[in-house]
Amino acid sequence: MSEQIREQVSAFLDGELPNSETELLLKRLTRDGELRESFGRYALIGEAIRGASRAYLTKGFAGRVNLAIDGEPVVAHGSSPGAHVRRWWRPFAGTAMAAGVAAVAVVAFHQRADAPGLRPALTLSAQSPAAAPAQRVALAQGGASLQTPSEPISYTVPATSPAAPAAMPPARLAGYVFAHSRYSSGLDQRGMLADLLIEADEQPVVNEAAAHVAP
Amino acid sequence: MTWVRRNGANWLIPCAVVGALLAGLPERSQGAEDPREWLEKMNHALAMRNYDGTFFHLSEGRVETMRIVHRVRAGSVTERLQSLDGSGREFIRNNDELTCYLPDQHTVLVEPRPEHGPFLGSLPQFGLGVNEFYRIESLPAARILGRAARVIAVTPKDQFRFGYRLWLDEKTAMPLKTQLCDSRGQVIEQIFFARLEMPESIPDSALAPAVRTEGMRWVRQGPSHDTASPALSAFRASELPPGFHLTIAGAQTIGGATAPASHLVYSDGLATVSVFVEAPPPNAPSADANAAAPAEPPMQGLARVGSGYAYSTVVQGHQVTAVGEVPAKTVEFIAHSVKSTGNAELPRR
Repeated sequence: MSEQIREQVSAFLDGELPNSETELLLKRLTRDGELRESFGRYALIGEAIRGASRAYLTKGFAGRVNLAIDGEPVVAHGSSPGAHVRRWWRPFAGTAMAAGVAAVAVVAFHQRADAPGLRPALTLSAQSPAAAPAQRVALAQGGASLQTPSEPISYTVPATSPAAPAAMPPARLAGYVFAHSRYSSGLDQRGMLADLLIEADEQPVVNEAAAHVAP
Repeated sequence: MTWVRRNGANWLIPCAVVGALLAGLPERSQGAEDPREWLEKMNHALAMRNYDGTFFHLSEGRVETMRIVHRVRAGSVTERLQSLDGSGREFIRNNDELTCYLPDQHTVLVEPRPEHGPFLGSLPQFGLGVNEFYRIESLPAARILGRAARVIAVTPKDQFRFGYRLWLDEKTAMPLKTQLCDSRGQVIEQIFFARLEMPESIPDSALAPAVRTEGMRWVRQGPSHDTASPALSAFRASELPPGFHLTIAGAQTIGGATAPASHLVYSDGLATVSVFVEAPPPNAPSADANAAAPAEPPMQGLARVGSGYAYSTVVQGHQVTAVGEVPAKTVEFIAHSVKSTGNAELPRR
């Protein structure tokens, strides 16, 4: 990601990007999946730095976060108070950056903890053995141990059921979500339907038995 | 019509969530700083204004870019939600039906949705008790998309439901940014606009699908005109998380199923959970507590579905699936409590 685009992303997330540049950024984002991934990370980090998310760090963690940010070394520029307005990631190259990355990991951690044994939407096979590695990855991305006051550093996901379950077929799951969306409240409905739009499942989301080919 | 409406819930209300909150909160002065007044403004703007915007949908560190177009013309509403990131998938809904175009799967999924009323007249009347489970407050103002924004937080008071933070445009009350949060304030999902226009009129072309449908499969599903069997209709949740209650009981055909499932909707006035109860396959043993598994393996377990979860289990030989934009523990709790009552009220026509 070029410095210019970094500045644009940061300005956008700060609500300071002019409309004309927003349009350009938008076009780039729709074309560039890698940029979208970086954008997602920055958005989460930005939220953390702004205090929307909580993160608890172990001492020394700040120095190990660089690898998690684009794989680039973060140079701690002199950030004197009167200096040129810098976007949020630059003056926070140290602890704040660490906080952001930690928040990413913590968010991932909590989400996984909320959904033991799961893979993301519509590709579910409940109790997937892949879940535990996924959590380890989430923690590893932080580059160091993370902990909240109430949670241990290491965490083993409990199984919700001892039985080996059958997969929940994406087509069937999509049918449930579709039917449910009729009665879900507005914001939630939009979120769930949006997820149906973005899923690119290997398996079809529509039951073959119900289909007919249009004339 | 097969639905028993105990409390009307009209899915076409884009932010019925807000109406629920408003109805459930005690009367207070409607000052300019009152967050409920701002939520009401947002509700009205989302339902009644024309808008065309592009927004980012962030979930699990993944970003998708989407466009939404919403038009109200002569009391008729048309809305289009489109993925801009490659799959080409899009939803178009009008007053009568919701259509999902899935070009990557050469499929069009259609669900008739004829029931709707005037927007503001059809707000859910969930009412009492909502403020018992959510706290609503204003947060410090902010700027987003170059605009001044009111920030409103809707915070759940326990772990059975999610909350929201909303950044509302000072001028239009449109939600420029929305976060879904858990009870600890952790962001689960967020949506924010990169571009938002509110034109006086929107041409038909902006609401037409970009997908060519020749040769695509068309699949229809929806509320069934038949009632669910008495056996299915007898199932109910025997225990619910605090604040949840049954709002709708009816029948629903899922995908290509030959017989309708029983569809129960539980709500706390803001969050909703659907429970689907389906009969075992015809070649499966009869349904009783000790029945062997059906020929097709039953579904068992939890799935992440966007901002919510689905949990499926087998109860007395029937497949029971709970789906909702709530934490995993809530769908699990409800699904596990489902039992046949044997004498439940049957859906009426």
